[in-house]
Amino acid sequence: MRLRFALAALAAFWPLVAGAQDRLTLDGDLDVRWVHATGEPSFMNGGPGILRFDPEHEGLELGRAFLAPTWRIADIVSLHAVLDTYGDHNRNPVDISEFYLSVRPFPTGPVRFSARIGAFYMPVSLENRGIGWTDVYSITPSAVNSWIGEEFRTMGAEMEARWRGASSGYLGDFALIGAAYGWNDPAGALLAERGFTLSDRPSTLFGYLGSPPLGFYHEIDRRPGYYGGVTWRHHDRLEIRALRYDNRGDPTASTRSGFYAWRTRFSSLGARFEPDAHWTLIAQALDGNTAVGGGDDPQFYMRFRAAFALASYEWGRQRLTGRYDEFHTHQLSGFLGPPHTQDGHAWTVAWAYDLGEHWQFLSEWIRAASSFPPRLALDEPVMQTQTQLQLAARYHFKAGW
Amino acid sequence: MQPGSSATWITLASLLCCLPCRAGELSVTVIDRDGHGVDQVAVTATPSAGTTTTAPAPAVMDQRNRLFVPRLLIVAVGSTVQFPNNDTVSHQVYSFSPAKHFQLPLYKGEVHPPVVFDQPGLVVLGCNIHDSMVGYIYVTPAPYFGSTDADGALLLKELPKGDYRVVVWSPYIADAPATLTRSIRVEGTGSQAEHFQLKLALRAEPEPKPHRENWEY
Repeated sequence: MRLRFALAALAAFWPLVAGAQDRLTLDGDLDVRWVHATGEPSFMNGGPGILRFDPEHEGLELGRAFLAPTWRIADIVSLHAVLDTYGDHNRNPVDISEFYLSVRPFPTGPVRFSARIGAFYMPVSLENRGIGWTDVYSITPSAVNSWIGEEFRTMGAEMEARWRGASSGYLGDFALIGAAYGWNDPAGALLAERGFTLSDRPSTLFGYLGSPPLGFYHEIDRRPGYYGGVTWRHHDRLEIRALRYDNRGDPTASTRSGFYAWRTRFSSLGARFEPDAHWTLIAQALDGNTAVGGGDDPQFYMRFRAAFALASYEWGRQRLTGRYDEFHTHQLSGFLGPPHTQDGHAWTVAWAYDLGEHWQFLSEWIRAASSFPPRLALDEPVMQTQTQLQLAARYHFKAGW
Repeated sequence: MQPGSSATWITLASLLCCLPCRAGELSVTVIDRDGHGVDQVAVTATPSAGTTTTAPAPAVMDQRNRLFVPRLLIVAVGSTVQFPNNDTVSHQVYSFSPAKHFQLPLYKGEVHPPVVFDQPGLVVLGCNIHDSMVGYIYVTPAPYFGSTDADGALLLKELPKGDYRVVVWSPYIADAPATLTRSIRVEGTGSQAEHFQLKLALRAEPEPKPHRENWEY
């Protein structure tokens, strides 16, 4: 229903842009990969593996294809959408992952106000700087931001007040961000089910992710959630982001079709430092908890934390990146079997080569090791190590009317 | 006017009044802590006596690769500045600085008429779409001015003999303004040099990275 409405809205506005001078722009990406993976079946295919691909799903794969139209309706109002296809088990062959209005009035003083209304990613990642949550330092984002891409989309309104320091002689800015949203009640269910993953397969608004198919973005308890955050940019060399997220879910609420509201809260703190024209250093940590059930039944309660450190070196057309991830979930109550307690770490090495305006070649190797007691139910050792090698060719285009 | 290329602007009036006396040259260099020249530093030379001004002249502030080019433009009061957008994406240029409030609605290419800068002062430019874009227009009443080249050097010519106040300024220089202002005497003949050796590290901005960045979250 929501998908049909979104497509109808897009189609209705389309003729109005004809003839406008560069009011409509279209970005597109096609990412095709050769993949070699070792270890257990991926969570994408019903297994306990925490990487996107597995030995049964390797060889030539579609990494992702997307179209991202931006329509500047008025000088200060623009409409953004991202349409994705991944060629996997998604319910819809093509789906929407973002659809929002951006309002940015011209500043009349040092504080600039802006707003986003619709469905979009929260401003938490320092590595997913590309269009549609694309990680620009490696193919696969960190465990922290893989999870954000999988289970979270702000469906509501976000306001930002940004103090622009340049007018006062300070080379940097400081922003306060706040948002209220709905339809995020199932957020946390995926993490509780299978722990953290390292995957560049974010969820779409109306689709499923992985197997067994799990849908997202339902409003169950009619309680809006919120997040509040700060961003500080210093001399355009250092950027610090802090965010507090709380979906304010009522863990006792559920739908007849079996979707539960999860109470998920976390804090995230991250920094990106670019000391010169070559180096980028990023670190981010996330800490929170999630709960479901309660009332007459024992409540499922889990704490989680994850962090990563990344170093990237860019020279000419090339970029080399190394990253270390650590991630933990700790189930404290509501046991129905082995505890859903995960302890893991991963090493990622990525090399990217720009072949010109349109083509980019990327390669990435990940080694992820994790212990997860529910593997016992599959007669597997609790501790598992997986590796994944990806060689990707990415085509990008941009058009404007 | 392009800073660095034609660094000196003198009015016909000042030229005429100084014909009887001989003019000197002032070479200004700005050197950072590591001994490298600092480019795009605004330099002004104001005579202590007299009220000479400079004729306004048209100038250009370009936009390329999500940067203002040059980062810093120095113009005489009353000058007009054209803001062509030669980037691959559209921009919305604005300023809310006291010296000039203006905004140029979304555009590419050369759409908007030039903007007149009729008040002295610093005008900080921004783009309403790309927050990381910052540019500066230094609007000066000084009769002699320019901005330094890649070697941190600027040559001001045809300075009549007399006392001057020389000021250098850049948003990237962290040294105290008092150390960047000097009173000097220009002799009516030959060339003389003023070196500004910075003591503090520059607040340098690296180029925006990565190049493919488009939207920021």
